[in-house]
Amino acid sequence: MFGRSRGWVGGQGKSKNIHSLDHLKYMYHVLTKNTTVTDHNRNLLVETIRSITEILIWGDQNDSSVFDFFLEKNMFAFFLNILRQKSGRYVCVQLLQTLNILFENISHETSLYYLLSNNHVNSIIVHKFDFSDEEIMAYYISFLKTLSLKLNNHTVHFFYNEHTNDFALYTEAIKFFNHPESMVRIAVRTITLNVYKVDNQHMLHYIRDKTAVPYFSNLVWFIGSHVIELDKCVQTDEEHKNRGKLSDLVAEHLDHLHYLNDILIINCEFLNDVLTDHLLNRLFLPLYVYSLVSQEQSEDRKINPQVSLYLLSQVFLIIHYQPLVNALADVILNGDLSVFMPQTEQNTHKSSSSAAVRRFTKPPESLERSLEMSRHRGRKKAQKRPNYKNVGEEDEEERGTEEGPDEEKEKAKGTEASSKASRTSGDTEEIEMVVMEKCKISDVSTLTEQNITDEEKTAAAAAGMEGQRSRPFLDMVYNALDCEKEDYHALFVLCLLFAMSHSKGINPELLEKIQLPVPGQERSSYSHVLVERLIRVMNHAALPDGRVRLATLELSCLLLKQSVLSGSRCIIKDVHLACLEGAREESLHLLRRFYKGEEIFLDMFEDEYRSMTSKPLNVEYLMMDASILLPPTGTPLTGIDFVKRLPCGDVEKTRRAIRVFFMLRALSLQLQGEPETQLPLTRPEDLIKTDDVLDLNNSDLIACMVVSKDGVQAQRFLAVDVYQMSLVEPETKRLGWGVVKFAGLLQDMQVSGVEDDSRALNITIHKPTSNPHAKPVPILQASFIFADHIRCIIAKQRLAKGRIQARRMKMQRIAALLDLPVQPSSEVLGFGQSSSSSSSSSTSQLPFRFYDQARRGPAFASVDKVPGFAVAQQRSSSLSSSSSITAQSDSISTSGMSTHTTPVPAAPLAPSLTPAAQPTISLLSDTNTDSLSVDSLTLLPPADPPCLRRFSRDEAAPADTDARTTPDLKSAEDRKDILAAPEEHGTYTTREKDKPDHPDSEPAKVSEPDVTSRSREKVETEISAPDPEENLDLEQETEID
Amino acid sequence: MAYAYLFKYIIIGDTGVGKSCLLLQFTDKRFQPVHDLTIGVEFGARMITIDGKQIKLQIWDTAGQESFRSITRSYYRGAAGALLVYDITRRDTFNHLTTWLEDARQHSNSNMVIMLIGNKSDLESRREVKKEEGEAFAREHGLIFMETSAKTASNVEEAFINTAKEIYEKIQEGVFDINNEANGIKIGPQHAATNSTLSGGQGGQQAGGGCC
Repeated sequence: MFGRSRGWVGGQGKSKNIHSLDHLKYMYHVLTKNTTVTDHNRNLLVETIRSITEILIWGDQNDSSVFDFFLEKNMFAFFLNILRQKSGRYVCVQLLQTLNILFENISHETSLYYLLSNNHVNSIIVHKFDFSDEEIMAYYISFLKTLSLKLNNHTVHFFYNEHTNDFALYTEAIKFFNHPESMVRIAVRTITLNVYKVDNQHMLHYIRDKTAVPYFSNLVWFIGSHVIELDKCVQTDEEHKNRGKLSDLVAEHLDHLHYLNDILIINCEFLNDVLTDHLLNRLFLPLYVYSLVSQEQSEDRKINPQVSLYLLSQVFLIIHYQPLVNALADVILNGDLSVFMPQTEQNTHKSSSSAAVRRFTKPPESLERSLEMSRHRGRKKAQKRPNYKNVGEEDEEERGTEEGPDEEKEKAKGTEASSKASRTSGDTEEIEMVVMEKCKISDVSTLTEQNITDEEKTAAAAAGMEGQRSRPFLDMVYNALDCEKEDYHALFVLCLLFAMSHSKGINPELLEKIQLPVPGQERSSYSHVLVERLIRVMNHAALPDGRVRLATLELSCLLLKQSVLSGSRCIIKDVHLACLEGAREESLHLLRRFYKGEEIFLDMFEDEYRSMTSKPLNVEYLMMDASILLPPTGTPLTGIDFVKRLPCGDVEKTRRAIRVFFMLRALSLQLQGEPETQLPLTRPEDLIKTDDVLDLNNSDLIACMVVSKDGVQAQRFLAVDVYQMSLVEPETKRLGWGVVKFAGLLQDMQVSGVEDDSRALNITIHKPTSNPHAKPVPILQASFIFADHIRCIIAKQRLAKGRIQARRMKMQRIAALLDLPVQPSSEVLGFGQSSSSSSSSSTSQLPFRFYDQARRGPAFASVDKVPGFAVAQQRSSSLSSSSSITAQSDSISTSGMSTHTTPVPAAPLAPSLTPAAQPTISLLSDTNTDSLSVDSLTLLPPADPPCLRRFSRDEAAPADTDARTTPDLKSAEDRKDILAAPEEHGTYTTREKDKPDHPDSEPAKVSEPDVTSRSREKVETEISAPDPEENLDLEQETEID
Repeated sequence: MAYAYLFKYIIIGDTGVGKSCLLLQFTDKRFQPVHDLTIGVEFGARMITIDGKQIKLQIWDTAGQESFRSITRSYYRGAAGALLVYDITRRDTFNHLTTWLEDARQHSNSNMVIMLIGNKSDLESRREVKKEEGEAFAREHGLIFMETSAKTASNVEEAFINTAKEIYEKIQEGVFDINNEANGIKIGPQHAATNSTLSGGQGGQQAGGGCC
């Protein structure tokens, strides 16, 4: 688009070889003939300048004489001359593009030096372009950026003039630090960082003495203004409408922090001290920290506490520069409001200045003006500005001009090439002096702690001894942990504490003083205040209508672990552990309410486990999300991630209850040093995998042809295991053994008939996914063709039944986890499947080992006795039993609530919250059950270990019709347990009396009298089941056809 | 000068893959590609027309700033489109794409259009990365893909314009919030058209307003 209309210069035929010295000479000729820009020659000049660029780059790459000519004729001067004629945008843009290209593409250092000599470049930098033109602005700032990328210890001398104290590249660039165009601001930041990176003492001294205060004070004001806008955005938000804008403002704040951090990690102490001073005393303390405690109506209050907590967390997560973050943390953890008061005793004469200290105020003049003033200051010393900057600055300046340079020059001689890391101590001291003086003005230990001497330490200790000094900030932080109504503030507090405890810049002693958890530190005590509050958060999270988000809970768990785990030891006090157990118990009760026989529950249960373990909370990412700045909401329509909002609807409430349970369970186990043996329900290492070799003697195998979607055929044997179906090939070496070619979970399988082929089945197995929105990915999608339709039906039933059974068994394990009486699931087991019932009971006890047995024994036996029964059975059972269970478990939890939850909010150590060891885990192994009964059964809710045991008794029972009735009775008895629970729940003693009856259950006891009317109904439904069942089966068949 | 929208692009990819050359090739047709001249630029702008609308593209090369976390972060955030470039004659530049992409996805706004570009397609004899591989990578990550040559200018035009089209479509669909400049999209100045009538006319923005 550019060239089409402009190509006429080349069109004149003078460009036989555009890239040659001759052509450059011709261009030179054109320039000399057109020294004045007019409307007529403008186009010609632009094309000439453009061509010169091209030739120069070509020359740099191919022919050095080109550059010589350019320099010899001082052609750069022509450029300047043209520029100064106010020749208009068109020419300006071309010149800037040329300069960009020149400095970007020049590869020879000598060429670069040539270009930079004569100060022409500096003249161009200070030229007053029309910066209102966005294109000129963009080219100009890119030009500066390109130049800054060329800066090093040698080239810096072309830009920084020691004698005149000029550094146009830097001072011109920073004038745009708050330009409305983001790309320009980014370029400015790049330029400054490139400058600070150059290790040149003189230049850096200049930066500090002449520019640092104006620049940093304006920068800090700019950041603070954004923060206030951000706060306003939060305040004025309705219905989360400001989320888009808010997330930009948050990202902007993060950009600023990262920028500050990038400056600080260059580790130029010169600048860091000035920057730290400004950040602390003009931004973080007066704006962020002060807002934590100031009254709402107070004029001083700038932002809301939740915003300031959020922003402070970001500060600690991103910035680790010790003098800064340590001082900041010290004020938050130890400081009081005196930090913000002028210190009268110390400096009456300087009171005006100290009053200005620690205020978030607008710099009295623009950066541009400040720079202007500072440049002229050397000449007009008398003219002093009446502003806060004078105080520190003049001291500095005097140093800078009087003793500074001399000292520096001496040093410079010796340590010209000294690396940044080893800046001479003299320098450091000098700066420190300046800073210390400032500190004196402004009181407090903030900055002094960067180099604590022994005296200071004792002094600090003494200060600590002063006793119950008020700590308003810390108090606020702890108080905000209250989640009774909502966890809006609590989440931020947790993040802040987490960020502080993980900060590399904070002195561990500082944290230890108030017993904040430092990860990986040995310790013997912890902060009771904090731990109790954390446990209270957990208690609230476990309440049915708790307003605690999952992220909050997860963070509380993290912090609690950090607090009470010292190395591998857990130092938690019994009373706290008991409270925690109370919360865990509560979460168990909560989850019971949602426990249903429905298929989806199992899937949710496993999904939640997967997504919780695969995506542990990342606090840094959490704190990058602006959406948590708005009050917690429940609706997923906001697009806010599930863990960062409250649940919406029953499914999400279930998911939430599951997660709360997982988290508290994991926490409880870890604190008690017990391994997790029950979760996940399926461990990958326990599953049959491809290429496993199995003993399939006595297993039921069905030969089939597997035709995958892409038409590949294979002869396989179908075997159905407890949790999996597998396709095997005969093992060549051992008779009766098979090699697994494919294995998939039965629970994720879908089987359907094939329309026009009664011998074939379509089978799909989906990969379990933790993302509910992701499309399920099939790991198997194939049609299975059997020898005849009988075998086909058998296979279908076996798979269908296997699926139900696999799911049922997992549900039973969940029930066991929840201390629910294990549903005997007589429906499936009742078919005389002794072998699988054995495996299911052993599953409950030895969850991961049943495969060995299953594989050894005739695992696949006797599935096909009652064709089509299983499917319908399952349906009827889910119709009848699940609904009743729900009702019952509801009543349980209501009763549970009455006994457990009411005291919770009142006191953290409510006696009802202190049951001892928890039964769930121990329930499942006999030894533990025994030990339990000794010390803690008095407090146990109906645990029903006997159910499990009785179950294992079934193992021995013959698989006949008896087996079918016993479980029914048992189920009745189990239900009775549930029914009984509401009355008995509060009074555990009665339960305890029951206890002895249960173990080694005599079947006689569990008989007619115990069967409630409800369970009779149940039995009836079961008996009548075959009827609808057949119908259903028929229906299914017709569907298939 | 007048434009309906301004789209900000960034160019990312390993050093030496020809990012700045692509940029210059696209933004300034006057620099004809020549075999013995490698020339590039870090910033460029150009007007294009999509759907009868004048759209200005502003392209920022991010080269040389990788060492500062704050800078890369900000760049990604401020752009509506990104050209992710690798060199088809250097396998390693292709292997690094995942890292680049992760970075981009993490820092950019989720609507940013990313175009994958296999550059130096003129050097067929030294090719190390098959076109199909590039296509597969793009498909897998939901990117638009194209092989270009800054040397012969082949496909350069298309690469930038197709990206712009995609952004434009997203605007039409209402996915982009155009009132929010942080997205890298700006609505054109309302009356710019009437102000810059003096000299240039329609010959591109360089020729636009010769008057200031």
